Amino acid sequence: MVFDYLASGLVFSSIIVLGSIGLSLIYSIADFANFAHGDTMTVGAYAAFLTFGAVGGLGGSVLGLPLGFFVALVAGIVVAAVVAVLTEKVVYDGMNAGSIELLITSIGIAFVYRAIIQIGFGADFTRYEVQTLRPIEALLPYGIRVTQHDVAIVLSALVLVGSLHTLLQYSDLGRKMRAMADNPDLARVSGIRTDRVKLWTWIIGAGLAGSGGVFLGLYNQLSPRMGFNLLLLIFAAVILGGIGSVYGAMLGGFLIGMINQLTPVLSDIALLTDMGALLPLVPDSFGITIGIEYANAIAFVIMVAVLLVRPNGIAGEAT
Amino acid sequence: MSALSDPKGYWADLTRSEQGVLAFIVGFAGLLLVGLLTGALAPTYFLYLVGLAGMYALLSFGLNSQWGFTGLINFSVAAFFGVGAYGTALMSASSSPIAGDVLPIVGLVVALGVAALLALAIGIPTLRLRADYLAIASLGLAEVVRLVVLNERQFTNGSAGVRGIPPFFEGVPVLATLPETMPGLAVRPLPGTTIVLETPFWSALLNVAIVLGFVGISYAVLRRAHRSPWGRVLRTIRSDEDLARALGKNTYGFKMQSFVLGSVIMALAGVFYAHLNLFVSPGDLDPVTTFYVWVAVILGGSGSNRGALFGGFVIVAIREGTRFLNEFAWIPIDVAPLRLLLIGVLIVVLMRYRPQGVLPPQRELIWPKVVDEAPDRPDSGVREAKAGGGDD
Amino acid sequence: MTDADAAAADAAETATAADRSKDDVVLRVEDLQKSFGALTATDHATFEVARGTITGLIGPNGAGKSTLFNLVSGFYEPDGGRVEVNGTAVTGMEPYEIADHGLIRTFQTPRKLEGMTVREAMLVGPRKQPGESFLNLFFKPGEVGEHEAANLEEAERILEEFEIDHLATQPATKISGGQMKLVELARAMLADPELLLLDEPAAGVNPTLRNKLAEQIRRLNEQGTTFLLIEHDMDFVMKLADPVIVLDQGSVLMEGSPREVQTDERVIDAYLGGSP
Repeated sequence: MVFDYLASGLVFSSIIVLGSIGLSLIYSIADFANFAHGDTMTVGAYAAFLTFGAVGGLGGSVLGLPLGFFVALVAGIVVAAVVAVLTEKVVYDGMNAGSIELLITSIGIAFVYRAIIQIGFGADFTRYEVQTLRPIEALLPYGIRVTQHDVAIVLSALVLVGSLHTLLQYSDLGRKMRAMADNPDLARVSGIRTDRVKLWTWIIGAGLAGSGGVFLGLYNQLSPRMGFNLLLLIFAAVILGGIGSVYGAMLGGFLIGMINQLTPVLSDIALLTDMGALLPLVPDSFGITIGIEYANAIAFVIMVAVLLVRPNGIAGEAT
Repeated sequence: MSALSDPKGYWADLTRSEQGVLAFIVGFAGLLLVGLLTGALAPTYFLYLVGLAGMYALLSFGLNSQWGFTGLINFSVAAFFGVGAYGTALMSASSSPIAGDVLPIVGLVVALGVAALLALAIGIPTLRLRADYLAIASLGLAEVVRLVVLNERQFTNGSAGVRGIPPFFEGVPVLATLPETMPGLAVRPLPGTTIVLETPFWSALLNVAIVLGFVGISYAVLRRAHRSPWGRVLRTIRSDEDLARALGKNTYGFKMQSFVLGSVIMALAGVFYAHLNLFVSPGDLDPVTTFYVWVAVILGGSGSNRGALFGGFVIVAIREGTRFLNEFAWIPIDVAPLRLLLIGVLIVVLMRYRPQGVLPPQRELIWPKVVDEAPDRPDSGVREAKAGGGDD
Repeated sequence: MTDADAAAADAAETATAADRSKDDVVLRVEDLQKSFGALTATDHATFEVARGTITGLIGPNGAGKSTLFNLVSGFYEPDGGRVEVNGTAVTGMEPYEIADHGLIRTFQTPRKLEGMTVREAMLVGPRKQPGESFLNLFFKPGEVGEHEAANLEEAERILEEFEIDHLATQPATKISGGQMKLVELARAMLADPELLLLDEPAAGVNPTLRNKLAEQIRRLNEQGTTFLLIEHDMDFVMKLADPVIVLDQGSVLMEGSPREVQTDERVIDAYLGGSP
């Protein structure tokens, strides 16, 4: 069973990582906690949904996904990036406000995105029109139930994250982005054109979020709340990794995604469920069953614990 | 000068936005009065709305004393409201799985105590850090509180909710049975309309009295706090926390006090709600409540108690107003996303174009009696300068 | 002993102005260190501020003056070394605790207090106001009122001394940058400091106000407040301060009278960009 949880943890982590990288970059370079980031993922998912409906399968198939789906993926990325850049230009850019005011504005933006999607598509769950696959036969003996779609999600995420890594390490833009994420003031005085870097941050951050949204829709279902529901996990990942650290966000996203999917294992831990039997002075029947319904709560507890002991994240400098 | 002895001078002395608000209130009150007199608006329902408005005003007071005074971002207003509602419900309701049938006044104390503890628990890890950490953590807290209420059936009844909550004055002599003992009254405000006032009306009136009491006490406490050196430190923290620290203020302690105070007032709103509705369920913890309250506070004017009061009433007008949208056939969409859109647009537009709200605090906030000749408005509204617009 | 320490010790020996009252030290900084990642901002800085002086702290851009202020006032936690105020070790304490020992600081670019008049902003200054306790507001309103009245009177008196009493009821956001600096200084005085750290008090202040500011600092100093000030305006600092401490690359390069500092080769080298 644990192998199965680990496998689905890997898939889910891929999605969280795609969300958390962008959130972390925007957090440090645009200098505010963007509460609309989760809904940017939703935007990507629904843009892909629309596109896929329009272009159809286009024949051919990679890992159980028709080529049309990859067109839809690109559309999801592009639309999410365009929407984010437009929002930045129309709303945030002209505000001349502090990071706190921007944060509050972003939650309004999140509602606007979600409301528009809900008005357009309804509040119900929906799916991409791709065939539901059976788990890969070869892995079943190990108790692992993953589909080719899951493999496609992980591989696509790896490609995207790998491209980002290349960009950050080997391009001029990437170096400037890292410098700015690391220390915005320092970067500004050293003559980096912050406006251009900021614009690219929005494009890359929102684009990755859009792809994460598309995969989330493929992994689960689509709903107007899908992104907002994920926001807490993504924030937890970013804080765990240390705000402003791209690689920290990857690590944080990986850990949070894993822990989230491993939650069922926790409910088997005897110490928690049979607390009464193990501890003196506690009634025998007493115990905490941490079911999967508490998966998000665990991310929250981890986040608070990190804030208490290492507010700069596990990859950041200790204070 | 008073509005009664010199109405013209009073009017001329108001800022344009104050005039607008006053005109709005007078117009709205007039509309309600017409509704009441013609029988279009049932008096009991009207009183229920007043009760709700008072509840939102309390929530706005709570958030205002966190965000408006100190600049603390709390995205779990709904959770503290829920803790208040569930706290008193689980103590006093007949169907409570853990206690039950305790006097509501005890429920009130327990609920406020739990809210204070919860505020401490979330404040300790976050209030030492940048302001946005509290925002993120409180978003998580709201989710956790909702999950616990929903899933811990053995303590909370889960999605079934808690029934059998007694009225607030249960067990108090006279007041407990007052609505039943009041005589039924038939009122003919206008020829041809008859309104019968019976027990439900009297108990609704009693509820309004309770909420007005809560609102009045909170307002008095907050107004005094706002004009005090205590409030001044909070306002300094909001503008420049480092400055407050450099001047020897323990800003962590002040932020904690502000956060706990606001959370307790939010829980008070929850307590009132539980005894108004006599039933609570996880649906009452809907996170969207949090953002209604945010709109109320920003709209009213962050830091302004009267603004929060006004904002609270506007929110009820919006909520009840949009309820009727569904009754028009030509609007084919559900009202829920429209409300969400409205909240979102209001937040963005207010933050973008009028961050100071419509009733920003105007007067100089110095302890009363110390300055007798304190100018009500030093030259022009001090807060107007922030937005750079001299629109008043 | 590092070169910088040796230099500092050397300077202290020759500086008559500096050692005349070192027996009464308000602030003692020993071997203070702080680095941010690879950047060493404060490198074994050691110096003392004698009671009753106006001590200047100068140094080229990036010498670590502001970092040093932040370390001394508790805004940063040092990586090593110690800070003593009035003989009490305050290393690692919170700024408000350090303020309790009599050390108050100002900032280079103060944010304006939105929604407050100048005299309201002034009233934030006094420490340990009874009205800063929430409970006192309701249980001892009389006491709160008395102190508030006394503080207001004191605030207005100081504003008068600073010749800016006409600003008292102006919005704090609507006064000029120079006036803001005066208000800042006046407010800091309400906190009753023994040692006041001023971070570039003259920056962005027009020459007329600048003279007024210098005059006020000198007057307050004569009344017993010790000052430590960072300043870029050499003219301002050399007229006002004695001794002057020169900081370079995070450590103390030398200390001496303004004349000694101005003629010192090492100081000239540091300012010309070459390190000694």
